Amino acid sequence: MVRVVIGRIVSSLLVVVSSSVLVFVIMYLLPGDPIDSMVNVAATPPEVIASLRHQLGVDKPLPQQLADYFGKLLRGDLGTSLLTSEPVLPKIAAQLPPTLELAAVSLAIALIVGLALGVLSAIHRNGPIDWIARFVGLLGISMPNFWSGILLLLVFSIRLGWFPAMGSDGWRTLALPSLTLGLIGAGFLVRIVRNSMLEVMSEPYIVMLRAKGLTERAVMYRHALRNALIPAITVIGLLAGDMLAGTVVMETVFARQGIGRMISDAILSKDMPVVQGVILFSAVVYVVINLLVDLSYSWIDPRVRLRHRTADTGGAIR
Amino acid sequence: MRERLNLNIMLGKRELRPYRTGGLRPRSYNVLLIAAAAAIAWFAGCAIAPDWLAPYPPTEMSSDSLMQPPSWAHPFGTDYFGRDVLSLVVYGSRDSLFIGVASILIGGLAGGAIGAISGYIGGLTDAVFMRAVDVLMTIPGVLLALAVASALGPSLFNMVAAVSLGTIPGFARLMRGQTLGIKNRPYIVASRSVGVTRFGIYWKHVLPNSLSPLVVMATLGIGGSILTGSGLSFLGVGVLKEIPDWGELLSQGRSYLTVAWWICTFPGLAIALLVLSVNVIGDWLRDRLDPRRRGEAN
Amino acid sequence: MVKLPKTFKTAALILLLVLPVALSACSANNGVAQEGGSSGAAAAADPSPGASSAEASETGGELSYALVSSPDSLDPHRSGLSVSSRVIRTMFDNLVVQLPDHTIQPWLATEWTESEDGLSYIFKLRQDVKFHDGTPFNAEAVKYNFDRVIDPNTKGVSALALLSPYESSEVIDEYTIKLTLSKPSRAFLGNLSAAQLSIVSPTAAAQSGDRFGQHPVGTGPFKFVKWEDNSEIKVERNPDYNWAPALVDNKGSAYLDGIVFKIVPEDATRIGSVQSGQALAAESVPPQNVAALKSDPKFKLLQANTIGLPYTLFINQNREPWNELQARQALQYGIDAGTIVKTLYQGTYEQAWSALTPGMFGYDASLENSIKPDADKADSLLERLGWIKGPDGIRQKDGKRLTLRYVVTSPNREKRNDIAVIVQQQLKKIGIEVEVVVTKDIRTEIFVNDNYDVFGNSDVSGDPSWLSVYYHTAPKGAIGNMSHVSAPELDRWLEQGAVEKDDGRRAELYRNVQQYIRDNAVMVPIYVFPYTVATSRSVENLKFDPLGFPLFNDVRLTK
Repeated sequence: MVRVVIGRIVSSLLVVVSSSVLVFVIMYLLPGDPIDSMVNVAATPPEVIASLRHQLGVDKPLPQQLADYFGKLLRGDLGTSLLTSEPVLPKIAAQLPPTLELAAVSLAIALIVGLALGVLSAIHRNGPIDWIARFVGLLGISMPNFWSGILLLLVFSIRLGWFPAMGSDGWRTLALPSLTLGLIGAGFLVRIVRNSMLEVMSEPYIVMLRAKGLTERAVMYRHALRNALIPAITVIGLLAGDMLAGTVVMETVFARQGIGRMISDAILSKDMPVVQGVILFSAVVYVVINLLVDLSYSWIDPRVRLRHRTADTGGAIR
Repeated sequence: MRERLNLNIMLGKRELRPYRTGGLRPRSYNVLLIAAAAAIAWFAGCAIAPDWLAPYPPTEMSSDSLMQPPSWAHPFGTDYFGRDVLSLVVYGSRDSLFIGVASILIGGLAGGAIGAISGYIGGLTDAVFMRAVDVLMTIPGVLLALAVASALGPSLFNMVAAVSLGTIPGFARLMRGQTLGIKNRPYIVASRSVGVTRFGIYWKHVLPNSLSPLVVMATLGIGGSILTGSGLSFLGVGVLKEIPDWGELLSQGRSYLTVAWWICTFPGLAIALLVLSVNVIGDWLRDRLDPRRRGEAN
Repeated sequence: MVKLPKTFKTAALILLLVLPVALSACSANNGVAQEGGSSGAAAAADPSPGASSAEASETGGELSYALVSSPDSLDPHRSGLSVSSRVIRTMFDNLVVQLPDHTIQPWLATEWTESEDGLSYIFKLRQDVKFHDGTPFNAEAVKYNFDRVIDPNTKGVSALALLSPYESSEVIDEYTIKLTLSKPSRAFLGNLSAAQLSIVSPTAAAQSGDRFGQHPVGTGPFKFVKWEDNSEIKVERNPDYNWAPALVDNKGSAYLDGIVFKIVPEDATRIGSVQSGQALAAESVPPQNVAALKSDPKFKLLQANTIGLPYTLFINQNREPWNELQARQALQYGIDAGTIVKTLYQGTYEQAWSALTPGMFGYDASLENSIKPDADKADSLLERLGWIKGPDGIRQKDGKRLTLRYVVTSPNREKRNDIAVIVQQQLKKIGIEVEVVVTKDIRTEIFVNDNYDVFGNSDVSGDPSWLSVYYHTAPKGAIGNMSHVSAPELDRWLEQGAVEKDDGRRAELYRNVQQYIRDNAVMVPIYVFPYTVATSRSVENLKFDPLGFPLFNDVRLTK
């Protein structure tokens, strides 16, 4: 068991480093550099631009830039933003809480709505509730998130004035973006929960329980539901990742603070240290979440052993 | 990411428990299925012969009829160039479908190949390939696509490349799981002892048996790819073409929502309808192709 | 209420001391107010209260102001972005100020003299000014500032360009400084009024070093409070402020308690934040929202045309067939800027006619309406050059198709990419196939590879000598001449204009330049960019300087 865990940690580290290198290379290949968004290129002599590039260190060849970056990283230094000269680590630390808040609340909405609708939908199969639930589910997954976000904003903020249109302070600013993301997540969950509920309900042991004279309610909630939830739990990790990725768009639409907006801006202006910092963070989160999911998975369903899964899927994750 | 979810729905079920189901399908399922198929056929028709279906040339601008609400002459209204929105939606289907289908085709082939090799050969190859897939998975798909799309520069093909990259891990994992499951089945082991070559076994027995979930996933993934593509347009790396795709139309039209709702609503509905239809078809395919469910659907 | 009369007295005192300045200031203010009011119906209705109404109206309150994008740095010497200047203006002052009538008036400098040869200036400075951190403002501080701009470690690019041909400065006494130039420049004095040449606190700048842009300290009407990434920048009133420029009425400390700049990139959200009352003002109102906001009594719409170079499509003369005048003229006749402006901006932007915007010194108004779009003329010009329409409607010559590579940037600022989409259709009509290319890497595509036939650009500037950057024969090292136009007479006019002391002759020179550019179809002017702000009704007296930057000194919030 210990060996397995150590093995996983090592391979996880390897994955984190490689993804960092991969992003570094992609960013290096990105056309232009941060200077282009800082100066009026037309009115700036090329030698001034050249000296600026030199000062920022973006004129060095790729291997040297890579070596510099990882050398610093080993000493715990994430570097400074090329655009603003701010150190990256505090920048991320400051932007992290609003993003986590949004992702967490969205996930909670997804879970509550998705589970409830999924279960109801399965119990009232083919009834109106089923149809409504499935429609909501499909709607959630078939609209581009920026569009549904703007629609919610126009209705609930501008027309009705119930919630603020922007900002990241207080729960009221969370309402619309988390609803947007949460409903998308719920859309996925409804389908999963419904299907697995229906499957479980046709299992022989459920039929037997019914035959034994248990009330329908007891059969459903005490036995069927518990088993039907397992597939739902396996996707929480995925869903959490999805919610985090969704913040990229939501933070722009609702003018929220957060690392999602920070990294998409940084990619577009080629601010490499910032991009690297956030990717590093996201890779670590990914690895940790998956470890947790696998652990909880074997905890909920004792038949699935960590060792077994590890052997089966090659060590990591899903 | 959406593909990954679907993958998990399938893998989760397979790994967890054998199941027997009965009577899952509502009667109205057929109606839904036919509607979805009809929608897809309609969009395909738009993509193949837009000039038959569109009332106006999509690039025809008129400064006298800017942002006119839906009417008999312009059922979907006109946009801020005075172009007919219905015609734009009809013509835009070509590139939108292309983004959806091509990126899934590329992602599916690449991911499928990686997964198959990984699963069938195993050992070090497997370890290396799967770590590579993990690396791709650590970077949120939207950001990966954003970075790649800006690195390659804005063009339709580059957008397809950027979107497809994010779909590779899902396909790879699914294919690997399939291959692993099949290669240890008794009849495969038996045919090996009879002396069939490794490749021969793979080609004749493993591949055909492992393909169906991949097809299902690909179908379900088309919708996701179209959504990712429109997300890229929103983030500012969309493609500027004479005839914009739906994602671009939606993204460009969104700032007109309060003054001319029809400009982005109809392209948005087209996206939603297509994604929805593709999902309905994908669900149906999953039931049809799943050997344990065969015969139950319909 | 004890404080108000005091402020009033000081204000009156200063008014007396600098009466001539104050007079021109009043007229200037009216000019500015009208500029905003002429387009914004609501704003015109507001009487502009002078100092006397200070007691009647309320002071205090915080103004929330939604910006489109985030400043990169609040270090005036380092940032070149307009959005940074908008925020920098609230915290910093300059030696001089430029009024809409192009005159230069005192600000932190009270008077100045220029040497006969134009190679040096002597400035007398105000003696009552302190930086927000308590550092006294004096000649030493000014010297530190200008030396800081030319120090390569500052990484200032825009500031450096504006300050050139500055060479050195010499402290004569505590409040007198002499600036030396390497060559005479008519633009120099005016450039000292630019936000990029604001005066920063030497103590704070030395202390914060590279990070001064996150902790700006100046002498301005507002002090820096905090900057939260991607969220807001907060400034508060500087109670000691007493040295406002002639552009505003209120010479003392601002009426507002503070300003919060929010960063809201998404159009619907930004405008929605004003409509829902979450912000009191939002900049950059999309043209399609202007009409609705104008007619809604709950809001005001303010608009200030920026000056400088309008958005122009430069035609690259290095590439065939655009090296031929007739081919360029065909574009001049084929591109219908009037329709573009009407379609995309619905009358909120003005059509541009010249290489300069209206309101610039030397602007040639006779160019307005001098060229009418004429597809037939364009057709015959191209036919004369031997370009004959092929079967698909695209012209051909010697088996070559007539294509035009039109490069645009991303993101789609001010709908510039939509202009390309329209031009594509307009030129198709005269048989030119337009290939629109979007790139983020302008530097490589345009300035290194020279891979374009048409590229659009605009610039904000207070002095016509800036035309040299774009139209003077490019010496080695200067790359702004995107048309690659090179004409001895053009160069001569531009060089003379940069030093000519007589205003009448100087204006004449620049009129020649503008006419040459039109006659030789060097470029096609498209639109003049107006800075637009939507505010709640309660926001009064928001003004703009000639470059279109907002001024908050006079702003009051009514209940």
